[in-house]
Amino acid sequence: MEVVLDKTYPVAAGVDAAWVILANMHELATCMPGAQITEDIDATHFKGAVKVKVGPAVAAFAGTIEILTLDASTRTLKMMGKGADKGGSSASMELTANLVEAEGGLSTLVGHAEVIVNGKFAQFGGRMMTSVSDMILAQFADVFSQKAAVQQAAMAPAEAAPVAADAAAADASGSAPATDAAAPAAARAVPVAPIVAQEFNALTFAWQMIKNFFAGLFGRKT
Amino acid sequence: MNAPLSDREKALMGMGESRLRKEDARFIQGKGNYVDDIKMPGMLHMDIVRAPVAHARIVRINKEAALKIPGVIAVLTADDLKPLKLHWMPTLAGDVQAVLADAKVHFQMQEVAVVIAEDRYAAADGVEAVEVEYEELQAVVDPFDALLPDAPVLREDLVGKTEGAHGKRKHHNHIFNWQAGDKEATDAAFASAAVTVQQDMLYPRVHPCPLETCGCVASFDPIRGELTTWITSQAPHVVRTVVSMLSGIPESKVRIISPDIGGGFGNKVPIYPGYVCAIVASIVLGRPVKWVEDRIENLSSTGFARDYHMTGELAATADGKILALRTHVTADHGAFDACADPSKFPAGMFHICSGSYDIAAAHCSVDGVYTNKAPGGVAYRCSFRVTEAVYLIERMVDVLAQKLGMDKAEIRSKNFIKREQFPYKSAFGFEYDSGDYQTALDQVLEAVDYKGLRAEQAAKRADPDCPTLMGIGLVSFTEVVGAGPSKICDILGVGMFDSCEIRVHPTGSAIARMGTISQGQAHQTTYAQIIATELGISSEVIQVEEGDTHTAPYGLGTYGSRSTPVAGAAIAMAARKIHAKAKTIAAHLMEVSEADLEWEIDRFKVKGNDAKFKTMTDIAWAAYHQPPAGLEPGLEATYYYDPPNFTFPFGIYLCVVDIDKATGETKIRRFYALDDCGTRINPMVIEGQIHGGLTEGFAVAMGQLLSFDKQGNIQGNSLMDYFLPTAVETPMWETDFTVTPSPHHPIGAKGVAESPHVGSIPTFTSAMVDAFAHLGVTHFNMPHTSYRVWQQLKASGIVG
Repeated sequence: MEVVLDKTYPVAAGVDAAWVILANMHELATCMPGAQITEDIDATHFKGAVKVKVGPAVAAFAGTIEILTLDASTRTLKMMGKGADKGGSSASMELTANLVEAEGGLSTLVGHAEVIVNGKFAQFGGRMMTSVSDMILAQFADVFSQKAAVQQAAMAPAEAAPVAADAAAADASGSAPATDAAAPAAARAVPVAPIVAQEFNALTFAWQMIKNFFAGLFGRKT
Repeated sequence: MNAPLSDREKALMGMGESRLRKEDARFIQGKGNYVDDIKMPGMLHMDIVRAPVAHARIVRINKEAALKIPGVIAVLTADDLKPLKLHWMPTLAGDVQAVLADAKVHFQMQEVAVVIAEDRYAAADGVEAVEVEYEELQAVVDPFDALLPDAPVLREDLVGKTEGAHGKRKHHNHIFNWQAGDKEATDAAFASAAVTVQQDMLYPRVHPCPLETCGCVASFDPIRGELTTWITSQAPHVVRTVVSMLSGIPESKVRIISPDIGGGFGNKVPIYPGYVCAIVASIVLGRPVKWVEDRIENLSSTGFARDYHMTGELAATADGKILALRTHVTADHGAFDACADPSKFPAGMFHICSGSYDIAAAHCSVDGVYTNKAPGGVAYRCSFRVTEAVYLIERMVDVLAQKLGMDKAEIRSKNFIKREQFPYKSAFGFEYDSGDYQTALDQVLEAVDYKGLRAEQAAKRADPDCPTLMGIGLVSFTEVVGAGPSKICDILGVGMFDSCEIRVHPTGSAIARMGTISQGQAHQTTYAQIIATELGISSEVIQVEEGDTHTAPYGLGTYGSRSTPVAGAAIAMAARKIHAKAKTIAAHLMEVSEADLEWEIDRFKVKGNDAKFKTMTDIAWAAYHQPPAGLEPGLEATYYYDPPNFTFPFGIYLCVVDIDKATGETKIRRFYALDDCGTRINPMVIEGQIHGGLTEGFAVAMGQLLSFDKQGNIQGNSLMDYFLPTAVETPMWETDFTVTPSPHHPIGAKGVAESPHVGSIPTFTSAMVDAFAHLGVTHFNMPHTSYRVWQQLKASGIVG
């Protein structure tokens, strides 16, 4: 089952700050609901894990991420992620993400993803795939935007993006919630709670869909 | 002293009576005995590890974690079956099939390993714990893509084999090309015809989805060297032969029992890997092993039906006389060619596709193709590929009528094989036994007021405010059933005869044992009625037993509507042997010549003397007590009936639909089904069979579909998606009949259970397309779900 997604999301930070997050696989991974990097194989290869909860059942995908392109001049990331779950599902995603400047010194995240899902998830969840992906990505973009904003705030006094990026990278390589303290620079600037996406829960998702449906119904009447 | 003849006849409850089903007493009380009801001391349970992807290499299988789970006894993979040479097995179609995936996975949900455990829970936990590493390969799900020059090689075991079981293979994913008819004559007729039409259509992949899924309990007795297996099989004797051949156990020590079966519809004809693994596990472990698949496994991995991509063409005169039929089929057989057809017919009886029409020239060509989908191609409530054939010709006749601006009924009348033409030899070589199509058509048109319906439709089409589209479907189908004459029909080399053994006991009751097996067809009820009429014994004291190969005579089983045409004939013939012996005994008892006797309902009497007679009960006693000198005692007979020909039941079906112009929601307003199955044994059972067949036809036409995504993931393999109609969705059925007996069958019966399925499906499509016909639409593919119909409404500009 293949889903192609083309999305743009507003980012509450400028392109430079946002690029720091985008270029750091550990930071990026924690934007993904339920995801984390478990091992750095080398500069462009990582092992990672994603958990998706469908009611009482948890699917834990373990897999690899390969950075295909990381182009700072165009602020473009191209990566390939592949994973499998012991319960008989597998997924792969080729993602191209690009940051472009937006009004007011902010930026826009432009994403193109080709997601292929096989096995039980594809058999049973086929009809929900696009909606689920949409929701996961919206959550991803939301966290990404928050992280970028924090990054921007941290960078402002320091006025040294590379340093901040290094700091963030070094800090995030620690175990457990990688962004527990975000970057020291960020912590200095903005007292934030750890910004990390919650694992995706399909029951919450279903409830959200129902709410949206009714909201849509009443919305039309007024 | 003599009861009136009519009372005596009634007392027999023989042929023609709506005798209540004898099997229902146990079913409605929950006292049936299905495979999953069987529990044995020390019985183990098996569950199957299945492939999550459609096409992949197996890099590694790790059993360790599974074997550590408490209760797990064994985990078997292809490597474990290899020393026994059981990791692959022959299919009924001359191909081989992996029992457990051997280095490579060919379809999603393919059997990769089995876990045997002390209980069902441990088996399921074991399945979860078996670790299999796959290297995914590009899946091929479209048969046309499979035939591209650079398509991935699906069957690496066949690399270099240019000859298949049915002739030349023209591509590495090609299985066979099969042709029938006269190509030259057909092409010539097309070249000079005034009118030709052509239509592509897909008969999509569906599944019979019987209420009871497949399963077995295998029990090997290591002391006696005997294997007993209870199995959900429509052909237990064939299973016995195959199991003996595969295992090396003498056939006399293999006992296959088909107990009560909860519907088969062709799904329970093939031999599945699960059966083989359970049997192997029982032999290896020396304990009984049960395997019962769940619904998802049933829909995903066991015998599907159809998946025929068809192109039909008709050549005709300007006034609608059909001159020639030409058709090509690309048949998606999945990963292994495991179709359940008579050996010499890789496309079954598809060449019945000239239908009820007198067509001088015809040719068909079928290409079988491998894809990464489950194997199968079973006859879902039909004789082998007859549903596809009937769909093709009935759609094509409609398409031609539309092109010529002719009425559907008129074009059919014009092309029918006439009553006086029977027996009729078709362009494909079938000899149709009997038929009277025009009488049946007239009866239906009259019953539904066809002219009135067409007038109503014209009025609705003229009214732009009418909220619905009205469609009228009409089909005049002919089936070919009762396979079949053993000179052309065999399964693995065994001729497709069938058998019956009748024993009349000293006190006049009787038992009949058969080579067939009921899956709901009411054999217990109807077979006894045939014997009752033939022998003058009340059906109430006739037991019918089937399904146990240790007691029943060899038979090829129940599918393709063959029970009545073949086994029903065997019953009549066995009964007639007994009847002949009974006559000798009666003459002896009354000290007259046999020539002086005549048969009257339940007795032999001396001609012209009602007072001098012997009933069958008297004769039975004498057969064991005082048989004539030189005559063998006892009163029993066995008959193996090899049919001289198929039988050709037919029918005329009419359907009226109303389609909501805004939503595509379709209401089946009326469905009128006239069937002619020759002699009618039990009208009530026939009615039930027709209701069942129409309902399954409705399911296929209006909702059933096994679809796949590009990666070969099966979509909708649960009853959440796969449409199984209940009383809520099912329309009202109106039934009717004519009787045109088969001249070659001992009692003139033709078989009926599949006609309503075969006939109704094109009727629904005919009605649906008819609703759009005034907009120039000639065809759209099933299933006619509201969503798909709504898409058609959009395409036709009715919905914005």
